[in-house]
Amino acid sequence: MKPFDIVIVGGGGAGLYAAMEAMKTNPALNIAVLSKVYPNRSHTSAAQGGANAALANKAKDDTVEMHIFDTIKGSDYLADQDAVDVLCSEAPKIIRELENIGTPWSRLEDNTIAQRPFGGAGRPRCCYCSDKTGHTILQTLYEQCLKKGVQFFNEYFALNLSVSGSRSNGLIAMNMKSGKVEAFPAKTVIFATGGYAKMYWNRSSNAAGNTGDGQAIAYRAGIPMKDMEFVQFHPTGLRKSGLLVTEGARGEGGYLLNKDGERFMARYAPEKMELGPRDLVSRSLETEILEGRGFDSPAGKYLHLDLTHLGADLIKSRLPQIREMSMNFEGVDPIEEPIPVRPTAHYSMGGIDTDNQTRTVMDGIYAAGECGCVSVHGANRLGGNSLLDILVFGRIAGRTAAEEAGKFTPGTISEAEIAGQWDEIRSGMHASGHYERYGELREELGQTLALNVGIFREASLLKKGIADIAELKERAKKLRIFDTSDVFNTNLMQVLELKNMLDLAETVAAGAHARQESRGSHTRIDFPVRDDANWHKHTLATQVKGKVTLGEKPVTMGRYELQERTY
Amino acid sequence: MTVPTVQHTEGKKDVTFRVFRFNPQVDSKPYFDDYTIPVEKGITVLRSLNYIKEHIDGSVSFRAFCQAGICGSCGMRVNGLSQLACTTQVWDVLAKSREPGIIKVEPLRNLPLIKDLIVDMDPLVDKMKHYSNWVDSTMPEAEMGKKEFLISEAEFLRYDKATDCILCASCVSECSILRANKDYVSPAVLLKSYRMSVDSRDSLHEQRLAELVKDHGVWDCTHCYRCQESCVKSIPIMDAIHGIREDAIESRGMKDTSGSKHAEAFMIDIEKKGKLVEATLPIRTNGVIWTLQNLLPMAVKMIMKRRTPPPPPLVKSAKGIKIFREMFREMTEHVKQDHKSHKN
Ligand SMILES: Cc1cc2nc3c(=O)[nH]c(=O)nc-3n(C[C@H](O)[C@H](O)[C@H](O)COP(=O)(O)OP(=O)(O)OC[C@H]3O[C@@H](n4cnc5c(N)ncnc54)[C@H](O)[C@@H]3O)c2cc1C
Ligand code: SF4
Ligand code: SF4
Ligand code: FES
Repeated sequence: MKPFDIVIVGGGGAGLYAAMEAMKTNPALNIAVLSKVYPNRSHTSAAQGGANAALANKAKDDTVEMHIFDTIKGSDYLADQDAVDVLCSEAPKIIRELENIGTPWSRLEDNTIAQRPFGGAGRPRCCYCSDKTGHTILQTLYEQCLKKGVQFFNEYFALNLSVSGSRSNGLIAMNMKSGKVEAFPAKTVIFATGGYAKMYWNRSSNAAGNTGDGQAIAYRAGIPMKDMEFVQFHPTGLRKSGLLVTEGARGEGGYLLNKDGERFMARYAPEKMELGPRDLVSRSLETEILEGRGFDSPAGKYLHLDLTHLGADLIKSRLPQIREMSMNFEGVDPIEEPIPVRPTAHYSMGGIDTDNQTRTVMDGIYAAGECGCVSVHGANRLGGNSLLDILVFGRIAGRTAAEEAGKFTPGTISEAEIAGQWDEIRSGMHASGHYERYGELREELGQTLALNVGIFREASLLKKGIADIAELKERAKKLRIFDTSDVFNTNLMQVLELKNMLDLAETVAAGAHARQESRGSHTRIDFPVRDDANWHKHTLATQVKGKVTLGEKPVTMGRYELQERTY
Repeated sequence: MTVPTVQHTEGKKDVTFRVFRFNPQVDSKPYFDDYTIPVEKGITVLRSLNYIKEHIDGSVSFRAFCQAGICGSCGMRVNGLSQLACTTQVWDVLAKSREPGIIKVEPLRNLPLIKDLIVDMDPLVDKMKHYSNWVDSTMPEAEMGKKEFLISEAEFLRYDKATDCILCASCVSECSILRANKDYVSPAVLLKSYRMSVDSRDSLHEQRLAELVKDHGVWDCTHCYRCQESCVKSIPIMDAIHGIREDAIESRGMKDTSGSKHAEAFMIDIEKKGKLVEATLPIRTNGVIWTLQNLLPMAVKMIMKRRTPPPPPLVKSAKGIKIFREMFREMTEHVKQDHKSHKN
């Protein structure tokens, strides 16, 4: 088979932008986009709030520089400042470009793209389309890719890279419709598989498939993961399902209340109140709950997000999805009653280590979007900066891979390697004697993570977490696959996803254990302050002989010196 | 396959899910499996299926992703009606179940079956391509990113609702014409086409419309409103369909396509009876033979299920020319009002 010039793994915002840009850069290239779900189903569609760009449509005095500063400060100074420069300076251009190709942004009175306030931002610079921003961006990108004739391999599940020595030969993937394992020999591969926060399962706002597959594939191929310990907890997940109530709700003026009816954020962020940065607001909610000021329910303790004072009209016009979700999954109409909420694992700051051009350490392998870590979010991502990240760095990945594809000549992927993968993934179908069940292991993983590697962390908890994950990994070798068929075997896919989550959970817990300080989303009860002298650096987790090995990487500084982060 | 009956506890009900099964590798034809599980209030159909898959039968196959009604993966028929499994409450369905305690779960119709509850979405994607379901920007690529188009809130509102579509294919599954003619454009694709055509940034309007008025296009729709009634996002799909028709009559006139034949058919109906006779429309538009081959078998089935407009003799002449004039105007000028009177 003739090798592809570019294989893009993932059809979310990052993958689709990469595809579009690669075709634009060099229309002669042979490009494939693989996605385990139809691209329009990708988790980008769940982003409700919006995307940041200093367009200065709403606040005329907003500038790119302010956006840069907010992002660096928000990251607790762990973001690389040159990367943040790229992110924020490209922002206005890329949002306009999306507008130019048909994204239906909401509009201001002067007919420009609408913007609203969002957590951690000094100006209202979050561009939105009511509360379906991600959905409409994804639709637009998918439509444009169909227009450009991008070659889609929908419902293909990426399994592994084929690696010879330190070189990649391309990708190995399973065609869900046929069950066949297929080779995608490729000069370059871009991973754009989204985040890994679903490892927290019921305490996560993510889609079932946000299992960090791309990261796990890269990790197994020896590519380092960066800053994996930084998992963002969103303050307002629905109590029962973990599903998200967007920051937009607070941006539009919603209140957070404890059981005494108190707007408790006054205690933690007197100036910004509900619009403080996520990590701070999440810790505030968790503290309220730990200190007994939460409501009790069989589904766990929770607090109130009150929108009732905003009025029916505003809720209906600006926050219709929130209202629908709240009614569907909690049985609560936010026009009439407050929404029951608690923090939920939401975003993975960590990911595949890349440079500013999205290159990894392996020739011809790139990563972009939530699955990569440039890093622009550092220890804490600002709301509205992730959609921006996937667009900006998705585009850079597409362009870079298109420009560099000519440099690489991949080896071949042998029939034997394909056959080996086929046997390996299906081994659980013939389990005899004692076996493990997918649902149970997944539940246990989510629980130990939420308990021991959650919002508040501490050495002994983390040790327990690490031991639990190791044990689960061992047990996972005996996972039984009950569906033995080839065609659309979702049971097999679940098991493969769980194994990917287990591989990554190990890196999250190891990083969290190593990092003896509190920074951004990472809060150590035993090391409550930021320790710039020892820990102003990225962690790198690499798999060596099947074991996680930690290294480090310096943070690129720039115009902004380290400062205490207060709001 | 049934698990031992679970004892009733407060707030739980034993519910039997009768699940459509078909594995093309081994089954010559589909069959149903029964799974009985305890379900408490507040549980969705998707969570029940997940439970069945995890605890009883790992081979039951269905799609699900966001589990929040956003991604459109989990469209299926629950007690005969196409909807999202992840936003459908079990107890709500149960309250309306014809067979007490039993919920029938089947794959969407009108798309090729792959396995169990999973159907092939490719035909829908192919139609999106065929009808250019994208904005072809009037701005040259080299100019992009420099400035915004200025777009009024009023224009935004024209396509706002249409962009809610999550391509779940529930409407596709319910569409009456698709059952007879798989090549029919499909309601979701009409909706998307309309959304593109009212966008002032788009330059493909004429070309898209030219495709939409051809065979299998917008004039084949029988106005049965099934799509709109079943849309999981409550999108007024008929507004889009009427919008395209209005647009076609306005900008292409009456005589050039089978579509105009259709429009004439509408008017003759109104003239003769003072009332719309949908059942006769396909014959006039497509000819007797096409109708016999394609629509009659379906029409018979639909009449059995009381879904179709009554056949012509049952439609009585409306009283007075005044009503006729009103309806005539609605059909040709204010088509959207027609939609409202239908809904009432
Ligand atoms: C509820 C919610 C709300 C959010 N709101 C906002 C917001 O308001 N603003 C903001 O900036 N950010 C928001 N975010 C974050 C943002 O949406 C995500 O970070 C971003 O969309 C990720 O995009 P992506 O392209 O990297 O990945 P995704 O959109 O997750 O796409 C991943 C793609 O990879 C594919 N894939 C994964 N594994 C495999 C495999 N093994 N084989 C083949 N394909 C695979 C998937 O099919 C999918 O196409 C939100 C996130 C959540 C969960
Ligand atoms: S109204 Fe038209 S498009 Fe909608 S279901 Fe009926 S025939 Fe199909
Ligand atoms: S129009 Fe409605 S029912 Fe049809 S695909 Fe879109 S969201 Fe689903
Ligand atoms: S799983 Fe996404 S809509 Fe139901």
